[in-house]
Amino acid sequence: MSNTTGATPGAEPFEPPGVTWNRVSPRLATVRRVVGAVPLLLVAVATTVAAVLLSWTWLLPVAAVFVLVAGWLSWLVGRQVSAIGYAERGADLLVRRGIMWRQIVVVPYGRLQYVDVQAGPVDRIFGIARVQLHTASAATDASIAGLSPQEAARLRDSLTSRGQAQLAGL
Amino acid sequence: MNRAVNQAADQVPLGPPAAAADGQWHRVHPLTPAIRSWQIFAVLLVYLAQDFGQTALRGDVGDSPAGQLSKLNGRWLAGGGLVALVVLVLGLTLAYLSWRMTRYRVTADALELQHGVLSRRQRQARLDRLQAVDIVQPLLARIFGLARLTLEVAGGGDSRIELSYLTERQAQRLRNHLLAAAAGVRYETEEAPEAPEHLVFEVPLQRLVGSLLLSSVTVWLLLVTAGLAVSVVVFDRFEFVAGVLPAALGAGSVIWRRFSTGFGFRVATSPDGLRLRHGLLEQRTQTVPPGRVQAVQLRQPLLWRAAGWWLVEVNVAGYGGRQNDEKHTDAGLLLPVGTRDEAVAVLSFVLPDLGVTDSEHPGPVVDAGLSGRLGEGGFAASPRRAHWIDPIGWSRNGFRVTSSALLLRSGVLHRRLDVVPHARTQSCGVTQGPLQRRLGLASFALHSTPGPIRPVVEHLDTAVAARLLEEQARRAQAARAAAGPERWMERPAPSPAPSAAGGLQQPAEPAEGSGIE
Repeated sequence: MSNTTGATPGAEPFEPPGVTWNRVSPRLATVRRVVGAVPLLLVAVATTVAAVLLSWTWLLPVAAVFVLVAGWLSWLVGRQVSAIGYAERGADLLVRRGIMWRQIVVVPYGRLQYVDVQAGPVDRIFGIARVQLHTASAATDASIAGLSPQEAARLRDSLTSRGQAQLAGL
Repeated sequence: MNRAVNQAADQVPLGPPAAAADGQWHRVHPLTPAIRSWQIFAVLLVYLAQDFGQTALRGDVGDSPAGQLSKLNGRWLAGGGLVALVVLVLGLTLAYLSWRMTRYRVTADALELQHGVLSRRQRQARLDRLQAVDIVQPLLARIFGLARLTLEVAGGGDSRIELSYLTERQAQRLRNHLLAAAAGVRYETEEAPEAPEHLVFEVPLQRLVGSLLLSSVTVWLLLVTAGLAVSVVVFDRFEFVAGVLPAALGAGSVIWRRFSTGFGFRVATSPDGLRLRHGLLEQRTQTVPPGRVQAVQLRQPLLWRAAGWWLVEVNVAGYGGRQNDEKHTDAGLLLPVGTRDEAVAVLSFVLPDLGVTDSEHPGPVVDAGLSGRLGEGGFAASPRRAHWIDPIGWSRNGFRVTSSALLLRSGVLHRRLDVVPHARTQSCGVTQGPLQRRLGLASFALHSTPGPIRPVVEHLDTAVAARLLEEQARRAQAARAAAGPERWMERPAPSPAPSAAGGLQQPAEPAEGSGIE
């Protein structure tokens, strides 16, 4: 078999031809903001209150830093979530994520060992779930967060049935 | 997770019941509790010694009258002795109970183990899922002629079955049966025939010692010692020594472990796969059946280059995934140190078909993988602009696709060649950082089962990486479909005649289970 030096220039590993990407729910961004940025904001509020009550003015810039970091985080989370994509192809599942550090994983259905669906308490409040694929390799990092519970269930069943159909051993 | 383990024993034995596979429940050797609980004795000894030392110390420091002191001593000793006795009795009782409650059973296609005093555990392993069989003899067991048999099936975390201890003879007979059953060999005799073994080579002691002397740990140790000597001479202070001592001891134990693991390393081939024997105090005999190797790595640290030595490691499902477990950290070691020819020979034993086309010999391809640069041997390499990120190693980053495997090459100073059969590719991925993106580069990773090898090729041209990603998933699929059966001796004859054993065989991959469950 030939090697792959003669690839067409400009081809992008993160944009395989003929793939339409499914996006995850923007509610994932909300969840991540709740978990990541809201505590920071609370700290900022507490700091401000302390600054006012104790008239420690030097605390105000600290509070401002907290607010800035929280703002930056929630902006970042939004970008990160919009970069997550997955696509079911005929023989494999594609998962990609990241803007600065981009990553794409191809998992052939036949290699699937089992599928996990998880939803934490905050996830459930916002109605999202995470689907994680497991192959025999621990390095396979194929998890899709931020799916609606229906989509998660559909994906789980679809993956499992395709895995059965194209089963390959180790 | 481990369905094979949870399954009830409802399978009817296929072949004639053989001695090793009589389907009866057996106990492990009665000496097992003694050998297992030697640690208890050791702990007791340490405790007593400590206790003794403490009381002695008190005696030194205390300024109480001598009579009172001796009384105190006596009381302390009596208390310690009582505690020791209770611990001893408890330990022995527990060990005895644990022995009484442990039993195993072998059938034609499964191995079952029941154990546990308070919570009973039962585990059953399907033999066609067998990944490797080890016979391990720790020093004490060896003195008594006993051995532990470890059967690896590939389940998520801890999925192996350990039978400890059996007599050496039992362990060998059992191993032969397990391998025969896993290979799909049917035998009429009382015992499973032992597969003939052909010793290929052994690692000479001098070479092992040399390889350890030329390891980075040794060099580091020497540097630190030299630095210490200088500092002691210059500053006339010995405190530094105490500061560095723990690290030095750690390094020493690493060297010792490598030495004791690599001691008397012998590699043999047999129809059952590669047989490895090694170990100084704890002797280990490993059998890795064909087709169970998920990935191979040949590597050469910088210091070994003059001597031309190579090290070979493999990923075997079941061996990896428990790096914390000290007993098994070296399980994937195929050759602790060998010449280039030996390393290549070992590679060809575990992966007989490198899939190089007829017009080409595999030799040059492997050579290019071991020591070549850039495009030698048909490798696709990193483009020149990769040197901005990887100024030293860029010229060896590369891969080569053959019809049966992917060869990944890296490292200019510390040379590495990873070989992953297409049929063993689990999944693959591409990553790209901001710098790589600016340069139009991306890194490609193959995901193999847990183990020492993580096959990666860094800084490929994005287009090349894209195409490799696209094609590798397809190749993995196709190769797996065409791969031989799990039971390696049932390989069909070249002619597509129906197999002789008729209804005994199942298809290579029974539809109801996959390799790992």
